[in-house]
Amino acid sequence: MPSGRPSLVGLLGLFFLLLIIVWLGVNFVKDPQEFINVFFVGLTRGAVYALIALGYTLVYGILQLINFAHGDVFALSGLIASSVLLSVFGVTTDSGAGLVIVAIAVALIVAMVLASTLNVTIEFVGYRRLRHAPRLAALITAIGMSFIVQNIALAIYDVDYQSIPRLIPNSSVLTIGEVALQWNKLFVLALTIPVLLALTWMVRETRHGKAMRATSQDRDASAMMGIDVNRTISFTFALAGSLAGAAGLLFLLYFTTMRYDTGFELGLIAFTAAVLGGIGNLTGAVLGGILIGLIQEFNEGLAWATPGGDWTRSIVFGILIAILVFRPSGLLGEQTPEGE
Amino acid sequence: MADLLVAEAVRKEFGGLVAVNDVDFVVPEQGIVSLIGPNGAGKTTFFNMLTGVYKVTSGEIHFAGERVTNKPPHAITERGVGRTFQNIRLFQQMSTIENVLVGMHSRLKGGILQSVLRTPKLRREERDAFDRARELLRFSGLRGRDNELSSNLSYGDQRRLEVARALATEPKLLLLDEPTAGMNPQETADFTAFVGRLRDERGLTVLLIEHDMKVVMGVSDRVTVLDYGEKIAEGPPSEIQKNERVIEAYLGKAAVEGASA
Amino acid sequence: MMTEQQTPQQRKDEEQRLQEVIAQRTQRSAGLWRRETAVALIPLVLVIGYAIIYPFEAVYTTLREIPGIGDFFPTPGSAVIIIVFTMMAIGLNVVVGYAGLLDLGYVAFYAAGAYMAGWLASQHFEQVTFHFWSPGINPELPGIHINLWIVLLLAGIFTAVVGIVIGLPTLRLRGDYLAIVTLGFGEIVPQFVRNGDNFKGFDLTSGSFGITPIDPPGFGDGLGDGSGGLLPVNFQRSFDAEQLYYWAALGLLLFTVFCCWRLRDSRLGRAWIAIREDETAAAAMGIPLMRTKTWSYAIGAFFGGIAGAYYASFKSGAFPSDFYFNISIFLLCMVILGGMGSIWGVIIAGTILGWLNIEGLGVIGNYLNDWFFEPVTGSRIEVPKYQFGIYGIIIVTMMLFRPTGLIPERRRKLEMEEGVHDEPAMGERAVNR
Repeated sequence: MPSGRPSLVGLLGLFFLLLIIVWLGVNFVKDPQEFINVFFVGLTRGAVYALIALGYTLVYGILQLINFAHGDVFALSGLIASSVLLSVFGVTTDSGAGLVIVAIAVALIVAMVLASTLNVTIEFVGYRRLRHAPRLAALITAIGMSFIVQNIALAIYDVDYQSIPRLIPNSSVLTIGEVALQWNKLFVLALTIPVLLALTWMVRETRHGKAMRATSQDRDASAMMGIDVNRTISFTFALAGSLAGAAGLLFLLYFTTMRYDTGFELGLIAFTAAVLGGIGNLTGAVLGGILIGLIQEFNEGLAWATPGGDWTRSIVFGILIAILVFRPSGLLGEQTPEGE
Repeated sequence: MADLLVAEAVRKEFGGLVAVNDVDFVVPEQGIVSLIGPNGAGKTTFFNMLTGVYKVTSGEIHFAGERVTNKPPHAITERGVGRTFQNIRLFQQMSTIENVLVGMHSRLKGGILQSVLRTPKLRREERDAFDRARELLRFSGLRGRDNELSSNLSYGDQRRLEVARALATEPKLLLLDEPTAGMNPQETADFTAFVGRLRDERGLTVLLIEHDMKVVMGVSDRVTVLDYGEKIAEGPPSEIQKNERVIEAYLGKAAVEGASA
Repeated sequence: MMTEQQTPQQRKDEEQRLQEVIAQRTQRSAGLWRRETAVALIPLVLVIGYAIIYPFEAVYTTLREIPGIGDFFPTPGSAVIIIVFTMMAIGLNVVVGYAGLLDLGYVAFYAAGAYMAGWLASQHFEQVTFHFWSPGINPELPGIHINLWIVLLLAGIFTAVVGIVIGLPTLRLRGDYLAIVTLGFGEIVPQFVRNGDNFKGFDLTSGSFGITPIDPPGFGDGLGDGSGGLLPVNFQRSFDAEQLYYWAALGLLLFTVFCCWRLRDSRLGRAWIAIREDETAAAAMGIPLMRTKTWSYAIGAFFGGIAGAYYASFKSGAFPSDFYFNISIFLLCMVILGGMGSIWGVIIAGTILGWLNIEGLGVIGNYLNDWFFEPVTGSRIEVPKYQFGIYGIIIVTMMLFRPTGLIPERRRKLEMEEGVHDEPAMGERAVNR
């Protein structure tokens, strides 16, 4: 944008931002302890969103495709993780720490492997043939895929919620006054941060990562430079799928319950997070996820002048629309490859 | 004669890159002006600013006495600027006559209600539009090809259709972006004659981006040369041909030195 | 390439036919008819004739009793729903098929129409008593009671305005971003109506209870009696209510088809197709992109609103639980299956999918269970439960193997096979290329 006098749109955005800051400020002053507690809840929720958002961003970065099915892959892998925990290991709240750790580790591996296999299959069966078709054709296919995966989950698990016992205790790790951080939140946060670091390292430094970036810049040129484009794209889908699998287990452990359509709405929220942060940008996805998580929990948990949980969905999608209309490149503003 | 198009200090930057650097430029009414320059000199970028596809970074553009800087493309077309594209951009799945009808969009009035009811007035308007479209196709050398899919036309005919479509917008100024690219010598000669007819028979003003020097020198009243986004020369064809900076821009410094040595 | 390879000869034939079709169409827009056009209308007349006599008890009961295939004929009540959804699909087709804009939130227009009927033809606003030509409804009854025919028109206009309001800020966006934004609106609207029962004490939407009952259509005492009893005073109180609803729905559908058909062959229709094919070139030809796209939104929304309002009246209620994302996809599925841009295709696909949705999946499920699942696996499968999985499979299959739909719009076919310029015309993104 040529910079000049600030536009009306920009001013409006600033004004809106100011309102939010005032709103948060007043809430903080009124009840600082509650505010910080809610902040931790939001941070944790945001971390889960971030993991899912990373999958959207990875795939969008390479194919400029919104992989609608991603949320449903996440839900299906979470459900399968619940089967591993309940049916295979039969964990209960009374199970010993050793069994719980082994069960979680196995469930994590199963969920990740399954989800990445599924994701690669979706790409292979569906999107690969449409690479040269109009962009909307692939997008429509992705929506179809989303419904198919969701119905696979429906066929296996029916409409009932699958619940697991609380395996990561929600007792406090540390308490200062009335402010407390619980084990289960720490667990989620402690898992997300290394994943992000590892992922960033992989995309920046490894051969696969470089191939991914090259492919996202110019597919044909990459192919000419000897990059196996098909393999690189499959690899990206596998990576995104394994993130979805990990997120599925994490969601299950933290919220303890999910069902076949959990992934639909969560997927949309996570996609919003990816757009908010700047789609195609890994750090942006995490930032966006955490912001959306915070916004949701602040909206539902704070006391002063909050619209409340009934409006969460509208707020999240309102943000999505506002970002796309006013700043399509997102907060961290990395241009999508075709724009450069 | 009055100037139809006046561009003052027009500038375009992409990121830090200056694609067009403060170019002043005028096209006199009923003139045929050519814009030439090596590849990447900023000719098409300049065109795209004149037609509203790109926004200018700074500078002013006036058309027929009216400021049109940064107006949207359709508004500029409405005021009387028609154009063709460097890489032919016809509506491929439309017939030739439909392509021309699309070009008439801003000259037709048929609204939604009228179209649904198909009022006598609308029918008359559509029928007149058809007649005019057919006339334009004939003028452009596409007689009897009305219902052919535009993608089925030969390359030269597609170029002609693009001109017919641009003429349908009823322009005062016609911008042609490398119209003879890819044509064989015969087609090129025909096309050059055609451009002359546009002015003589239709009273049009023409602005041409062209690589083929024979066309440029044969048809233009005046030539402007761009290099690296800067205007390096301007004048009648005979002068431009002898201009050292122009030869240098096209052939490189060594060639000039070699020639004078 | 997405379809099977054609020989050059086949391809030439195909193009020849396409040229003929286009020639006919262009002549039509100028009001020039040919005998071929008249001949082509014969199947149309037959289909409409069949549709008109279908709800007579003698007809549909006979058809429903044919052994083997009788189950494939819906009851007139189900047929009303099929028609209403087909009508919405044709409205959506204007946006997706003509102008090439993917709208994933069409359900918002359906909701807007339904709530217009709720506001203007029910006891919802009991603070006031306002009757305008209300068909055989006790004039003492509180609430706003405007004759439903007028409400339909008002709903269409209101929804078109909603479409414009949604469209103005968003239609600048690139295709996939636009799809997401419309999806966002499609999610916000149902939540808005669900939570809309208490705006500072003002009840706009009755929250999750929805607004019910809603007045039926009718021609009121004056017009109904004045017609010598030919026009029903009030649909609900007629003994043949379902038939009346059916015919009125059919009338609305034909009206929609007629309008969309005429628009396709008009100046606006040409502009839509031009935008769909190449935005930059379209703009350079003097087509105002925003205005033209917004019109496609408004017109698509207009018919969605009418259909929504009529449906609300038919089932006598507007409930927030009716308006969820899947409905948008269901309608999109109709458009894709039929062929984007193809009115005939969308009508046929709408009929098939609409039928599957309310009766067909159950019927087919029973067949499958009787003949396959129960004998082989020993258990029965509840097929309708998987309706959206089935629609998903339809969508994916169509996009992969026949992206142009069952009955392709001739033009669209070539586009899908050869690709179009689908980058945006303006803005910095295009600039930076």
